[in-house]
Amino acid sequence: MAALLEVKNLSVSFDTAAGEVQAVRDVSFSLSGGEVLAIVGESGCGKSVLCRSIMKLLPDNARMKSGQILLDGADVTGYRERDMRRLRGRMFSMIFQDPMTSLNPTLPIGRQIGEAVLVHQPKLKRAAVRRRVLELMELVGIEDPEARYSLYPHNFSGGMRQRSVMAIALAANPRLLFADEPTTALDVTIQAQILDLLRDIQQKLGTAAVLVSHDLGVVARAADRVAVMYAGKIVETGTVEEIFYHPRHPYTWGLMRSLPAFARDGQPLYTIPGMPPALVDPPRGDAFASRNEYALAIDYEEMPPLFRITDTHYAATWLLDPRAPAVTPPVGGEPDV
Amino acid sequence: MKRNPFLYYGQKALTFLMSVLVLSLVVFYVARLAPGDPLVSYYGERAEKMSVEERAWAEEKLGLRDPIYVQYVRWLSGALHGQFGRSFKYKADVLEVIGGRAGNTLILGGIGFLLIFGLSLLLGVFCAWFEDRLPDRALCRVGTAVSCIPEFWLALVLILLFAVSLRLLPSSGAYSVGKADDWGDRALHLVLPMAVVVIDHLWYYAYMIRNKLLEEVRADYVLLARSKGMGKRQVLFRHCLRNILPSYLSIMAISVPHILGGTYIIETVFSYPGLGTLSYESARYHDYNLLMVLSMLSGVIVILCSILAQILNEQLDPRMRSPQAPGAGEEGGHG
Repeated sequence: MAALLEVKNLSVSFDTAAGEVQAVRDVSFSLSGGEVLAIVGESGCGKSVLCRSIMKLLPDNARMKSGQILLDGADVTGYRERDMRRLRGRMFSMIFQDPMTSLNPTLPIGRQIGEAVLVHQPKLKRAAVRRRVLELMELVGIEDPEARYSLYPHNFSGGMRQRSVMAIALAANPRLLFADEPTTALDVTIQAQILDLLRDIQQKLGTAAVLVSHDLGVVARAADRVAVMYAGKIVETGTVEEIFYHPRHPYTWGLMRSLPAFARDGQPLYTIPGMPPALVDPPRGDAFASRNEYALAIDYEEMPPLFRITDTHYAATWLLDPRAPAVTPPVGGEPDV
Repeated sequence: MKRNPFLYYGQKALTFLMSVLVLSLVVFYVARLAPGDPLVSYYGERAEKMSVEERAWAEEKLGLRDPIYVQYVRWLSGALHGQFGRSFKYKADVLEVIGGRAGNTLILGGIGFLLIFGLSLLLGVFCAWFEDRLPDRALCRVGTAVSCIPEFWLALVLILLFAVSLRLLPSSGAYSVGKADDWGDRALHLVLPMAVVVIDHLWYYAYMIRNKLLEEVRADYVLLARSKGMGKRQVLFRHCLRNILPSYLSIMAISVPHILGGTYIIETVFSYPGLGTLSYESARYHDYNLLMVLSMLSGVIVILCSILAQILNEQLDPRMRSPQAPGAGEEGGHG
């Protein structure tokens, strides 16, 4: 079966006054229908840029340097704006971080959802659009949609706004949903609700999803597979179990150890030392080397390739090279074979 | 919960009345405290040759001897009865003097305003669409340079070019002698002053539209709208333009006095018989009654326009209306 989305060796750069910012560097991954892939990593590691470059919604100063994007087996890399418009909404759509700013403050919610319905079915009658909008509002768990149809975003709470954004994203039955930190701007109690809803809908409609997050708790709750990104590269990828129970990359170890759940009594919470590198001029070798307490000499010289651990689990660290010294991981159980 | 309209508009009316009252007081005092001889405007040259007794008599007759606050109260009670006094210079009721001129200014300012409103919208959208590409960059530079040209200088250059050198257009007045009813002739006389009014204000507003649009284009909701499949143009017109219109309308409402002020200067340069030339004369020759009414008129327009801008803003932007639908703020979900 062909993958729904396949990204091969994608590199995206921004031309800025400070120079070329290499936001995404040689990223490859694939996603099959109905699957949820989580992309985790620190702020600024290129997670959002990755999603937006697949939808071609990047600002003008961004350019795709290399790579290939296949949707359902079709190469969309060279698609122009007109072709992309047909794909957006129907093939894939997106949920953003802050529902307060991602809705237009001056249009009623119902109309904004209706717009998304109409974009792909311009001939639909007014009453039919309304019916569909109410149906969508119900689907995302907005109670009493009739009464809330003509309310404005500022009348809604954060959670309801995010539900509305989801209704917009789902309006044309997309097969793939990008969720860019969908819970970050929300209350903790609402976060879980939205996440469950996302998972619910995703399973009900069979939508595949790319869930961008820096919160491993969110990831564990909603994802099937995880890709860990650092400095524009995917450094480890695997199923949720593999990443959480048998992480192999020192950066993933660092992320895990930084979770409050790992803190021991009386000891300060672990933090990864140092700062992520600037992407204007990424360091030679492994970008994580200078923050990595397990770094080898070769890490400073040569970029590690993705080593295969299992068919689903890969990690880019020289520690997996047969010549590397054995290291006891600070987290996770036995290394899987 | 609905807002009580009586209370709402009552409040606005009260604001308006208070502002007008304060304005009249200030103008009245400033005009009378400014150096100069009001008798000159009434008696002309003769005023300089008057004896002390004659002067005293004339000032008594015109009511200028009383303390200023007495004069003000007298003026105010007259004004409340619709009596604004006579013009010193024209020896006629001030309303009559103004009535003869107001139409000309209304035509110049009104049509100029509409042109500026429409053209700046077009120009601003055009620039925003071509953001940072050649058409936008060229227009921004030319526009900024042009809008820095002082009105009077631009007026003189245009007169020199079109009236003196090319002899295409008349240089002054509102109509040729004996052709007061010839609308074609009036239109020809309007071309140059109108051009100056429009050219001098256009870019300021167009640039504002451009920048406001660009701010909107960067908003997150644009990304969401595009990710649901809308085109760049659709988003620009249906979302962004709509969102800047309230603030644009209020800016345009405030621009009325701004443009009006511009026409005053332009009228003077083109000797266009409107309120501008009249105001200039009345201030210069201490024609107090005329000056008062003209200042009050301009002031009322300014205040009305700002109140209008405020009401417009509240009507067009739902966020500025306070009432919240009951229960809307609660989380509607389950789970």
